[in-house]
Amino acid sequence: MPTITLDHISKSYGPGPAAVRDVSLQVAAGDFMCLLGPSGCGKTTILRLLAGLEHLTTGALHVGDRVVDSPEAGVFIPPERRRLGLVFQSYALWPHMSVAGNVAFGLQVQRMPKAEIATRVARVMQTLGIAQYADRYPSQLSGGQQQRVALARMLAVNPDVLLLDEPLSNLDATLRLEMRTELRRIHQEFGTTIVFVTHDQWEAMTLATTIAVMKDGALQQTGTPDDIYARPTNSFVARFIGNPPINMIDAASPLGQRLAGQNAIQAAIVGIRPEAVTLTQSGLPARVLSIMPTGGSWLIDLALDADRLLLSTQTRPNLHNGQSVGCAIAPQDIHLFDIHGTRLPQPALTGSTVPQSIPMRQTQEDLL
Amino acid sequence: MRTMPSPLWGAKIRRSIAMGWHDPTTLIGVLLLVTFLWLILAPVISILTDMFFVQMGDARRVGAETGAFTFYYLDRILLSPMAGFLFWGPLRETVINAALSMMIAMILGSGLAWLLYRTDMWGRAWFSTALIVPYMLPSWTFALAWTTVFKNRTIGGQPGWAEAAGLSPPDWLAYGQVPVIVIMTLTYIPLVLLLVGNGLRRIDAQLEDCARVLGASHGTVARRIVIPLLRPALLSAAVLIFADAIGEFAVPYVLGLPVQYEVLSTSLFRAISSRQTGAAAVFAGAIMLIGIMSICLDLYLMREARRFVTIGGKGAMDRTRRLGRWRAAATGVAGTFFVLGVVLPLTVLFISTITYIPGRLNIENFTLDYWIGRDLDTIALRNGILFTPELWQAAWNSVSIVGLASLASGLLGLLVGYVVSRTSWPLLGAALRQLAFMPYMVPGIAFAAAYLSLFAVARGPVPPLYGTIWILMLALIADQMPFASRSGIAAMAQLGRDPEEAARVAGAGWWKRMFRIIGPIQRTALVIGVLMPFVSGIKGVSLFIILATPSTDVLTTYSLRLIDYNYTQAANAVVLIIALIAWGGTFLVQKLTRTGLGDGLGG
Repeated sequence: MPTITLDHISKSYGPGPAAVRDVSLQVAAGDFMCLLGPSGCGKTTILRLLAGLEHLTTGALHVGDRVVDSPEAGVFIPPERRRLGLVFQSYALWPHMSVAGNVAFGLQVQRMPKAEIATRVARVMQTLGIAQYADRYPSQLSGGQQQRVALARMLAVNPDVLLLDEPLSNLDATLRLEMRTELRRIHQEFGTTIVFVTHDQWEAMTLATTIAVMKDGALQQTGTPDDIYARPTNSFVARFIGNPPINMIDAASPLGQRLAGQNAIQAAIVGIRPEAVTLTQSGLPARVLSIMPTGGSWLIDLALDADRLLLSTQTRPNLHNGQSVGCAIAPQDIHLFDIHGTRLPQPALTGSTVPQSIPMRQTQEDLL
Repeated sequence: MRTMPSPLWGAKIRRSIAMGWHDPTTLIGVLLLVTFLWLILAPVISILTDMFFVQMGDARRVGAETGAFTFYYLDRILLSPMAGFLFWGPLRETVINAALSMMIAMILGSGLAWLLYRTDMWGRAWFSTALIVPYMLPSWTFALAWTTVFKNRTIGGQPGWAEAAGLSPPDWLAYGQVPVIVIMTLTYIPLVLLLVGNGLRRIDAQLEDCARVLGASHGTVARRIVIPLLRPALLSAAVLIFADAIGEFAVPYVLGLPVQYEVLSTSLFRAISSRQTGAAAVFAGAIMLIGIMSICLDLYLMREARRFVTIGGKGAMDRTRRLGRWRAAATGVAGTFFVLGVVLPLTVLFISTITYIPGRLNIENFTLDYWIGRDLDTIALRNGILFTPELWQAAWNSVSIVGLASLASGLLGLLVGYVVSRTSWPLLGAALRQLAFMPYMVPGIAFAAAYLSLFAVARGPVPPLYGTIWILMLALIADQMPFASRSGIAAMAQLGRDPEEAARVAGAGWWKRMFRIIGPIQRTALVIGVLMPFVSGIKGVSLFIILATPSTDVLTTYSLRLIDYNYTQAANAVVLIIALIAWGGTFLVQKLTRTGLGDGLGG
């Protein structure tokens, strides 16, 4: 199973900003890589470049030790010879072929003997639970079933790499959950390298082994889901990942200055995840503005003088609006970003301004 | 104890009246239904029954009372020793013409569509509009241009250019089947181009991308994905063209008359002109039957095609094929079609209107007399065509009759759409939709004959309408209903009920809702629903040739009359004027919709 290497690739369509700008990325064999970003950030373009449906403007693409696209080297391997699988967002099932016909197409193109095609088609349809629809036409299937056919069609040819373009976005919530489990199973069962495009952070966090966050055609951060959540490389990634969203506090405000500590001079923004805020008796004085239950957890809107802070907790709060409380934040949970949004080192644990913000669990119990 | 139904009944009726008053959808629906039964169904039934009853003046020949039941007409036209000459010959010619011109147009048109939409041929954007131009011109423009060039000594009048140049074109080239097929092919190519081109563009690019990712070559993608997906569009185009070709009248009329070349539509015309109503009914019935069979086939194919509905998606892989050194050749082919289909015929017609003697291109032979001359040395038509009051009368008739009829059918179409999308009686909606669509199955010339059969004499409160503009107007309205109702239904279905219901809740009555909400929203739909029928009505011949009299001449019949009297230059000038109006109207539609003609035809 080959490693995919994106070597400073760019893609532009005529004048204007490029769709993909100088992206370098490596997808290891067996990886489940998620390209995550808001719509229009160039993630689908990267997928189409990988598949060979678009041509690079600059840079080079390697699959294993084979160059598949490089304007400098004058190499372009067309999509039909890349041995990749691509599942489209709209599934792109051929409406004039039965389900079995759709799944068999890739093998027929390879001129595989008929008997072998039949066994392989049967096996892959069995695995995906669509064997009973073999003779139906795509328009007679539900969205979830169509999705499975689209997957089966690509898995049948046993591709080196499976590319998925927002494959779950056309499904309803229940089916999405089901297909997500299914995808994880396929990844483990077939051992295929998967590159998955999505704008849904929840999907990315639950599925991926590696996430690459993109914005405006440029790569922002690559890392494991935990890594990206815990150490966002810039304020965009910090804001984009996490729900409820991270608190972003102006470093010049009284609260911001206090939290930023020694780094207050370089810092422009202080980021605090809502679940990193804890309630204490003696911490920073705050007032409860409102309490919003979200089913299973609660969001508490706090006012600290002119600053606002959103707190998220798994324990039912025993509070009322307007009540005065104290709150605390662990130093390792404080994210600092400079004026360009780039991450700064975390404030030191020692120093006279910080001790107050160490959580005091015993008093929190009384309050909640 | 007795039950007391009366207060309950009274309340029910009061309630129904109140509801009908404020929401007259059903009332309008019923009125429309009655109108369509009278304007569309009644004429067709009338002419179909005509063939079974002894017609006026035939009593002695048939040997039965006028109005008695008889199989005389069917027997005479279909079975008598004359039948081969009267019916089966023209039927064979009709079917051969329609089938051959359809097949050649399909092959050439599909090839051109592929060049236009899937290759890197030069000037594709320009050609995609330029090659549609023949569709905007009346089909017999080409027939006239053909005779202008190839007319030989077989008939009198001014000779053609070939004859003037010393070549004597044989009859088979000058008249009859060969030129009819060539010209009909030429006029159908743009239609194929539109329908197939639309199909090509509508195929989701991802369907092709996906096949290529799986390892399919260009050829395999074309063979296994593109062509099977296009099949419904191809078949539908073929059937529509065939059905249209069956009813084609003007081209075989202009080119067939000199050599007694007959097709069903010209036979029908001849029967009507010689007042053989019963025979005309048989011809009209035959044409209708072929038309109905074709359209039923098309509807069946379209239902099959519904399985092929796909979700459109993004994906914009460059689907064009590099032609390499064939690029120039391909551009040449498209250019040739433009020259043959547009430049040559129009130039020939124009030059013929500014020369005394056809085909002689020396300077003394040129003149503007036929356009703007005065006191010419001719028996009639002593002034140039632009100074002839009959032309302006005919032009005014064309524009006013066709214009009013189009306006009426556009409004009726929107009303049909309104009722179909609103009514709570599915039967009423279905009946309106089917009835409004019916004229589509009846070729214009047969429909005109049907009108003549119903409206030539007084029926009940309706006086005889033949010779008035009303028969033309009503026939046009009915003939345009298929397109008008389809666009009305589409527009209303798209709009949905919400905007109107919101207005209702806000306190607006029915008229206010129509004029303040529905009207303004559907303005564009209405303009298109009026302009499209206007264009086809202006260049249409078949309805007018049967229903117009010299006092109600329109441009098309006026120019055919001029041809009959051998005023070639004047006739060609009138045709150029018609072409100009038709082209202007189409151009306007395209500007207004920004979508191009193709999309209007696809549905």
